[in-house]
Amino acid sequence: MSDAAHTPDDGVSSDDEFDPIQVFPESTEMDLRPGADDCYKCSTCDTNCPVAEVDDDFPGPKFQGPEQWRLKRTEDHDIDDSILKCSNCMRCDNACPSEVPLSQMHNTARGAYVDEQMNKLSREYWRNRLLSNYRIMAHLGSKVPRLTNFVMGLGVTRAFNEKVLGITSEREFPDFATETFREWWHNRGGAAASRDRAQAARTSRGIDGDEPKRIAYFHGCYSNYNTPEVGKALVRVYEHFGYEVLVPKQRCSGTPMYANGMLQDAKRAADTNVPELAAAIDEGADIIASCTSCSMSLRQEYPELFDIEDVERVSNNTWEGLEFLRVHEDLESELQGTTADVPELAYHAPCHARNQGLDGQAIEVLSVIDGVDVEDVGDSCSGISGTYGWKEENYDTSMKIGEDMFQHMEGASGETGMTECPTCSMQMEHGTGYEIRHPLEILEVALLEGPEAA
Amino acid sequence: MAYDTTVLVIGGGSTGCGIARDLAMRGVEVTLLERGNLTHGTTGRMHGLLHSGGRYAVSDQASARECIDENIILRDIAGHCVEMTGGLFVQRPEDPDDYFQQKLSGCKECDIPARVLSGGEAREIEPHLAKDVKRAIEVPDGAVDPFRLCVANAIDAERHGARIETHAEVIDLLRDGDDIYGVTVRHDSGPGKRTHKTPGSTEDITAEYVVNASGAWAGQIGDMADLEVAVRPSKGVMTIMNVRQVDTVINRCRPKGDADIIVPHETTAILGTTDEEVSDPDDYPEAQWEVDMMIDTLSELVPILQDARTIRSFWGVRPLYEPPGTGTEDPTDITRDFFLLDHAERDGVTGMTSIVGGKLTTYRLMAEQIADHVCAQLGHQASCATADEPLPGSENLEALETAMDDFGLRSPVARRSKQRLGSRSQEVLDTNEPNPVICNCESVTRAEIRDAIEQSGSDLNAVRIRTRASMGNCQGGFCTHLIANELVDEYDEPTARAAYDELLQERWKGQRHALWGEQLSQAMLSYALHATTFNADGDTARSGQAIDFAAFDSGQSDSSGGTTGRATTDGGTQRTDQGGDR
Ligand SMILES: Cc1cc2nc3c(=O)[nH]c(=O)nc-3n(C[C@H](O)[C@H](O)[C@H](O)COP(=O)(O)OP(=O)(O)OC[C@H]3O[C@@H](n4cnc5c(N)ncnc54)[C@H](O)[C@@H]3O)c2cc1C
Ligand code: SF4
Ligand code: SF4
Repeated sequence: MSDAAHTPDDGVSSDDEFDPIQVFPESTEMDLRPGADDCYKCSTCDTNCPVAEVDDDFPGPKFQGPEQWRLKRTEDHDIDDSILKCSNCMRCDNACPSEVPLSQMHNTARGAYVDEQMNKLSREYWRNRLLSNYRIMAHLGSKVPRLTNFVMGLGVTRAFNEKVLGITSEREFPDFATETFREWWHNRGGAAASRDRAQAARTSRGIDGDEPKRIAYFHGCYSNYNTPEVGKALVRVYEHFGYEVLVPKQRCSGTPMYANGMLQDAKRAADTNVPELAAAIDEGADIIASCTSCSMSLRQEYPELFDIEDVERVSNNTWEGLEFLRVHEDLESELQGTTADVPELAYHAPCHARNQGLDGQAIEVLSVIDGVDVEDVGDSCSGISGTYGWKEENYDTSMKIGEDMFQHMEGASGETGMTECPTCSMQMEHGTGYEIRHPLEILEVALLEGPEAA
Repeated sequence: MAYDTTVLVIGGGSTGCGIARDLAMRGVEVTLLERGNLTHGTTGRMHGLLHSGGRYAVSDQASARECIDENIILRDIAGHCVEMTGGLFVQRPEDPDDYFQQKLSGCKECDIPARVLSGGEAREIEPHLAKDVKRAIEVPDGAVDPFRLCVANAIDAERHGARIETHAEVIDLLRDGDDIYGVTVRHDSGPGKRTHKTPGSTEDITAEYVVNASGAWAGQIGDMADLEVAVRPSKGVMTIMNVRQVDTVINRCRPKGDADIIVPHETTAILGTTDEEVSDPDDYPEAQWEVDMMIDTLSELVPILQDARTIRSFWGVRPLYEPPGTGTEDPTDITRDFFLLDHAERDGVTGMTSIVGGKLTTYRLMAEQIADHVCAQLGHQASCATADEPLPGSENLEALETAMDDFGLRSPVARRSKQRLGSRSQEVLDTNEPNPVICNCESVTRAEIRDAIEQSGSDLNAVRIRTRASMGNCQGGFCTHLIANELVDEYDEPTARAAYDELLQERWKGQRHALWGEQLSQAMLSYALHATTFNADGDTARSGQAIDFAAFDSGQSDSSGGTTGRATTDGGTQRTDQGGDR
């Protein structure tokens, strides 16, 4: 990969090319059999798996993980193809009372399956590769966002996607923003401008000017190409508290790639991300993500799957946007007395937020704000799980899983949704037609637009 | 005199089953009697190593040569019972260099292919080896499943006309003057396939010739006819790990010592072993410290064993023998060779030969030699074919590998089933009926369970050794009842229940020495499941005892006045007024 072509730090990266020739020269050999020792077969994981609940053909996480690994001998390479039905929601990880590394087992098995058993010329392989490398598509699309949005919305394009690529025609592709987050950031003056704003905020808050307050924002693909307003909200909120924001060079967090067994693609992206983020940590920054799947990936999957220098350090210093503020700032006092003029909200906690113990925080934090009325729509899975629900063959399952959430959203009094996860938000919008917001956006309104802030 | 059978074999271990097959294939009419299941004795309680001979290359080269020859034969004729894992003799920095050299030259002298690997190369093969291992010798060790091996021998013997009786204990030898002409046998549940609850019976079976292949029990059989057979039973402990930490047989390369070998076995790895003489092969102490010591010692070679989960431990007794007058002190020094004791030559009593000593790897050779001997006694002309004729299940294994048939099963399930069934896969798995997995840990399907029931009746331990069902990490917690349920078409409910109880008990037995950490959680869950759904907790609903209602008090009386507690079901009081400190 031509890393030299990248512009450093906060410039708009020139991006790397999609290299479709490479077919995984080295496979990731990993022995996860000892992980099966922790399983005492209670089946809690199976009863928590949203796919197993609606799809009788899916054997469930217990088989997929500890049982299948335990049956393996070194020379055995066959992995059951049902591994592709797992949506990688990671609920099983969270449910297991015994610390079985389920998602690591699924990810590794899926990687091995794709490496060794999947036909590299098949439509399924290429469709999955395309979906998991969303950033490449998005990058091209966002060069001509209006045209892309128009073309993607055309019936013929959607029919083509379904017939030729196996991408469901039921869903509408998310619109690309006319200005990406990174373009905005660049135009706004990048890190230098952020430093000034943070300094000004620190002065006005009476904080000792020497105290380093710095974060590095991992925006991921979606808030860069599709919802830059989320990224902007994060930057403004952190600057409000006096944090100087860095936006390191970065590639996809890898989440969609694990889910499709494209571990080599994910590893390549990690090879860029880890040193870049580690460099930011050296400068005193913590890593902040606004997408809960991105923070999950950097925290959990990176050290589980990749042996890269500094991977543990990056994992240990990564936070989700709201989580960091709750720990490091007195968010509650800060929000005391603020108001925000926002519609009533129906909040869905993404599975990956749940895995990080973050499922309760959005409601707790935002409820302090005057005028904010949030209702939790329960702990079901949205069913889309990233690229999973985009596949033609999974669409029905995905909608069946989402049924609970749709119903609860309809039942809630609000007609606007809220969640941290970009793909959950696609599903929420798809199932209900509601507009979906991110908690950071609400925070931004309260802190920066409310009468107090003014 | 008309005999009931021509040759009567006592003992259904590897030796006895091998003899029965060999004789039956030579056209001799044979009856085999075994007091438990097949493999009930030492064969079902051994380490599972298909010796390359490497272990004996320094101390006992005659045995070493036999091992490598038989190793090569068994790969061929018993392919579905053998996994050629390869083996390593690993030297740690503190292990002697000269012994390593002796081992290497010993292997060469005995024609055992051997190759020296650096520590790094050894770790490439087995990544969980300790970082500081010095070097290793690679030899063609393998893993053998003793259950499948015995069963396949017995099936083939039956195909050639043999009568195989299990749960049939020899309680006396019939001796007339200086001639042994048969046995008295006690059938636990009647002759033929076992059906629980069938009343027991005794039978005299006369035979032209008797072969005593009762291993460590050979002395007891000898006693029945006042013949002395001085076996020196020596016990050894083995511990089964939940997963395979290694895929190669790992031996410690040092002169001798306990706890120096790890054998990958099916889905598990087995640690072993020790060597200590015992007086009674049916009654000897099994101590937890033996297990602890073994895990500690082997962790020096493979450190992750220290914290790994063990699912059970078991002890076996070696049928060691040495000719009278040898007087070896330490059982580890007693030869591993086998001996054929013709009581006519030795004691002047005709009609019986005992075979003692040896090891599983050389079972076929032992059987061949004794069959030659018996045929000579009978004046029967026939040559041995067991080195060339594959066992049932091991025919045309290459064809099976290339056939892609998954029989509608998920791929790991199909793979494991085919590894167990070998060339019988098609016959067993190709069914039009639904074929769900019954034992999830070991991936055993209903079709395989039913096939085993057909072979062995209502005896679920016999089903277990044929299929591995209930031998995985839950130790039957999630499948015992499902296996028993497969009996109900053919057997009534009380029979199925008795079979269920028996299997469950057998599974508990081996777990007693593994009850800590994860296996303790597993055992508690299994216990709770079976106690609450099958009343398997000594419930009066099953024991039939009357409930002692008088043991319950009448509850809180109105006059007690206090409000500090209420009665709980065990008669104590529950304190409700001082929360916070419990
Ligand atoms: C700890 C240990 C580890 C070992 N590891 C290995 C190894 O890795 N590789 C290897 O090749 N060898 C190994 N061996 C040796 C090997 O297991 C034995 O040599 C072999 O199994 C002996 O088989 P057998 O048929 O002679 O005896 P057994 O299997 O003991 O068979 C004798 C049978 O006779 C039956 N019997 C007894 N009394 C009566 C009666 N009155 N009536 C009817 N039946 C009766 C018993 O129930 C028993 O089933 C090991 C042995 C031990 C103890
Ligand atoms: S990750 Fe989600 S879909 Fe996959 S097995 Fe676990 S719970 Fe089921
Ligand atoms: S929840 Fe954990 S312990 Fe229970 S069956 Fe699943 S993996 Fe095993």
